[in-house]
Formats: sequence, C-alpha cells, structure tokens
Amino acid sequence: MGDMVRKGGAAMSPVIRRILFSLAVLLWAAVILYFYQSGRIVKYLAPDFRLIAMAGGLGLAVLGLFNLLTAFREADCGHDHGEGEEHDHEGSDMSPLASLILMTLPVGFSAMWTQDGFSQATLARKGLYEDAQPADTPFLASAFPAPTREEIENTHSKTADGYLQFSLMELFFATGDRELQDVMGGLQVEAEGRIVEEKNDNPNGTRMRLYRMFMTCCVADSRAIPIILEFGKEPPLLPDNGWVKVAGTMRFPEENGTLKAVLEVTRATAADVPPEEKFLRR
Amino acid sequence: MNADAQQDFALAFLSILFEGAPFILLGTLISGFIDIYLPAGTMDRFLPKNRNLAILVSGLLGAVFPVCECAVVPVIRRLVGKGLPLGCALAYMLAAPIVNPITALSTWKAFQGQAPWAMTGGRMLLGYLIAVGVGLIVSRIAMHRVLRKSIADKVEADSAKKEHQHHDHDHSCCGHDHSHEKANDSRLIAAMRSAQKDFVDVGVYFTIGVAITALFNTGIAPGAIWLDSLAGNPAAAPAALMALAFILSLCSTSDAFIAATLAKFTWSAKLAFLVFGPMLDVKLIFLYQTVLRRKFILVMALSVFAFIWVVAVAWEIWFGKVVLP
Repeated sequence: MGDMVRKGGAAMSPVIRRILFSLAVLLWAAVILYFYQSGRIVKYLAPDFRLIAMAGGLGLAVLGLFNLLTAFREADCGHDHGEGEEHDHEGSDMSPLASLILMTLPVGFSAMWTQDGFSQATLARKGLYEDAQPADTPFLASAFPAPTREEIENTHSKTADGYLQFSLMELFFATGDRELQDVMGGLQVEAEGRIVEEKNDNPNGTRMRLYRMFMTCCVADSRAIPIILEFGKEPPLLPDNGWVKVAGTMRFPEENGTLKAVLEVTRATAADVPPEEKFLRR
Repeated sequence: MNADAQQDFALAFLSILFEGAPFILLGTLISGFIDIYLPAGTMDRFLPKNRNLAILVSGLLGAVFPVCECAVVPVIRRLVGKGLPLGCALAYMLAAPIVNPITALSTWKAFQGQAPWAMTGGRMLLGYLIAVGVGLIVSRIAMHRVLRKSIADKVEADSAKKEHQHHDHDHSCCGHDHSHEKANDSRLIAAMRSAQKDFVDVGVYFTIGVAITALFNTGIAPGAIWLDSLAGNPAAAPAALMALAFILSLCSTSDAFIAATLAKFTWSAKLAFLVFGPMLDVKLIFLYQTVLRRKFILVMALSVFAFIWVVAVAWEIWFGKVVLP
C-alpha cells in the first residue's frame, strides 16, 4: 500500500505538486493570521501561545509564498545520492491532491462553523455542573498552608460597598480545601462570570450557576469553573450565559454528601464582557 | 452533525491546530535544512567505536539532529543503507522524536500548570531508556530477522564491496559534498521545498489526529464517554491512551498539546500516551515497513506497549497520588 501511494504521489508533475503544497500551507497561514489579526485568537489560545501562533502563521506564509514563487525554478540539493536511490527530496507518501484536500477542508469548514464558544452540552461535559473535588495532592497541600483572613483582606481589593473581590477560581477551589473553607466561609465577596440555569438540586428554583472557563493552553483543554448562586427567592432576570457581577456571602455547605461552593447573593448586575476570558492557573 | 456539534468541533479543532502548527513548522524547517545541507555520513562520525556506547550515544542524537517520527524513518532507511549499525539506527529512530529540543519545548509549553518539568523530563527519560533498550537487543539479533530482505541484502552487499574497494571515492556513497560550484540559492530552494514537503506530510496526519481528538474532546465521537470512563482506572487508563495515541498518529512535536487536553486522565496515563505515540502509531506502521520486517515490528510494538504500561501502572500505584497532579 505504501508503495502504491508513493507512486501515486510521484506521478504528478513536481511543479504542480509544489503549487498544491504551497496552497495548503498558505491556507493554514491565512487562517491563523486572520484569527490573530481579528483578535478572535483570544478565544482559542492562552496568552503565551498567541504570539507563537502569529509567528507560526507568518512562517507558514513565508514558506508557502517562497515555494510558490520558486515553483518553476530548477533547484539542486548539492549532494550526490547512492546508486539506485531516487534523487528526490520532495516525494511524498500521499497524493498531493489528497494532501491538499485533507489539509484544507477541515480547516476551511472549521473556520466557517466556529462561533468562538462551546455549546451548553459541551460546557456540561467540561465540568459546568461538577463540583470541585477534595485536594488529592496532600504533599503539595501541606507545603502551602492556607492564608489567614487578614492575609486575604490584604491581598484582595474591596468594592465601594465593602465586598472583597475574588476570582471564581479561588472560590471554586476552596471547596476542595477544608482550611480555606474555614477562612473564607462567611466572607462578603464579589465575583464575576457567566450566569446559567442551575440544573442540580434546585427544587425551589432559587439557584443559578456562575462559571468561567479555565484555560491552560488552548480552549480544548479548558474546564468550567462553577459555583452555585443562591438567591433565596426567584432569581432576577439576567441574560442566559451573559456576564454578571454578583456579591454576597460565601458558604461551603455539605449537600447530599458533597461539599458545595455557594454564594448567597445580595446583589447581581449584568456586566460588560471582559476583553478576553484569560483565566490561567498561574 | 448538528449546529451545536459543528460549533464545538470547530472551536476545539482550530484551537489545537493553532497551538501545534508553529511547532510542526519549526520541526519541518529544521528537518528540511538537515535534509539538504547535512552530508549523509555525518552521523556515523559522531558515534564511538564501542558498539554499546554507540547505541547509548545514538539515543541522544535527536538533541543534535532533531527530527520527528515521520522524518526519521526515511533518514534511518538511508543511514542503514549506508552502513550505520542497526542497533544505533533503531535507538536513534525511536528516541529522536522524543529526545529532542523541539519536543521538549512543546511538551513543557503544553503542560504549563500540570507539572511541566516532570512531564518533560519523564518523557525524555522513559523514551530514551526504551529506545536504547531496543537498540541493545537489536544489536544482538541477526540483521535478516530485523530488516526487510531487500535492505538487508543491500547492506551485506555494500559491506562486502567495501572490504574489497576501500573507499574508491566514486562520489556515490561517501556522502559529502562534491558540488562546490552549485549556487547557494539553489540549495536554499531545495531546502525550503523539502521543509514544505515535510510540513505537508506531517500536517495531513496532524489534521486527521486533531479532528479525531476534537471529536473526542467535545463528546461527539462515539466511544468518547467510554474512554472517559476508563480515565480513573490506573490499569486501563494508560492502555487506553496508548491505543488512542496509536490511532491518532500525532507528531511528537505537537502531541503534547493534545495530551494536555485529556483532563480526566492521570499524569502517568498521559506519559504513556506521550512515549508510546512517537514510537508506534498507524502511520508509523506503514513507514516502518519500508525498513523493517513485519514480524519484527509486531514484536517490537507489543514489547514497547507492555513495558510502558508496566511503568505507567507502577508509577500510578506508588507515586501518582503523592507528588503530581
């Protein structure tokens, strides 16, 4: 089979093969550079990777253009080959046309289909309705003791009405750490995130869920970081999956044998979409 | 595929592609320039005369001649044909895609926040040990049991010829450059063409691998939930991810970006994915058959699979819950 495809690839004129390969490379370059230039790249990659992606896009553009513009020129590799060996540095295992199709169609269709966000079903799969697990790295946990309440107040700014501003990640991961719960339980906090319907244990319809995506490298590795919002009454009308700022008292109750991060809400208002959903571990 | 599934697939697919493409480009640019500018006999001259020592050094040559697994097979085919000892060739073939700076950099970058140094170091070390182990075993096996008959015959014939004609300098096999008058820009064009060809070869398999990964990542692929159900099982998880690595056929320069997305799996299962994948996958089975006997490939595949599985399971049982996430 390998020999067959190799012969299939070799049968095409080298010039046409170079042009097809260049087109495939240039399409990748165009898509990467478009997403970078349009700013949409922030939805796909963590900050560290965006410049690398841009450099890769430029590099691909140079490679593709160089080979396209020199496709008709003769080139010599400058060394001799053994007797009976093919003097060919461009022969491929696959037909160039098949390579072009395989490299361009998925990228092209994906660029058309993407809406820069996951559906609710995939968000659920990525942990939207899961609670933080208790810490399973006792070695590391013991190396970093929980901060005191004074340290927390010194390291978090306060809103005008007296709430400490927390990131969702801090609130979420406190569920897995008993010492942190002791310190943070009862604190008046404000956090920002997207609000969605609460689908678990919500018989009175007084709860919603606040989440953000937690991206390490790219959005494919992202996880949802959710906490529960308890309004104590029917929640106010806020846009589904829209950005909100909520403030209230933090609690860590045990419900059905599981510890939950619950914010008893006293204030909830729609918020502007942040410039990017940067939410890294570091 | 409904509209939601299309949207999910597209987002995951593009994000992994954007992340991995620059690293593939870097690897293929280097391999393209090595292909044109590096004389074929250069690697032989780096190796010690002692057979075992030469194999140990061969396992590290990827640090000097970094190539991914797609590029290394044609290189090995040529080098074996020119008399590079078989044990050295296999040690280099299996180690180079893992023990090289590009793979190290991409692994370290991909695992930011997930013990990057441990994953990078563990991957290099385990990959090196397996490659050298295979090389040492192969160096004690008759060539005809390892190499394809046509290649083994050619190596033996060349070897016999060399004994009678000690370097007749006919410029056909000495491997160094006898074309000093050839213009530099001509070689640059050849190098860029070679790099582009390598990029497309790898890019095709990468695209397929990313597409399959995106389907699993977003739960669209049948079996994605079953795969997730194995994630917490210390014995089944490494085996499942090695099988996934075999099917995905990813490039070693970018597979770490996919492994890092397998959030439900343990650290050791991801390590198994990252060590096994560059040594054996669907595309490599085809490529290896251009050099090696099928029976040997099967035995090597099963042995490597079993060894990595034992290491991954042992790690998970003894250390997994203590030190690493």
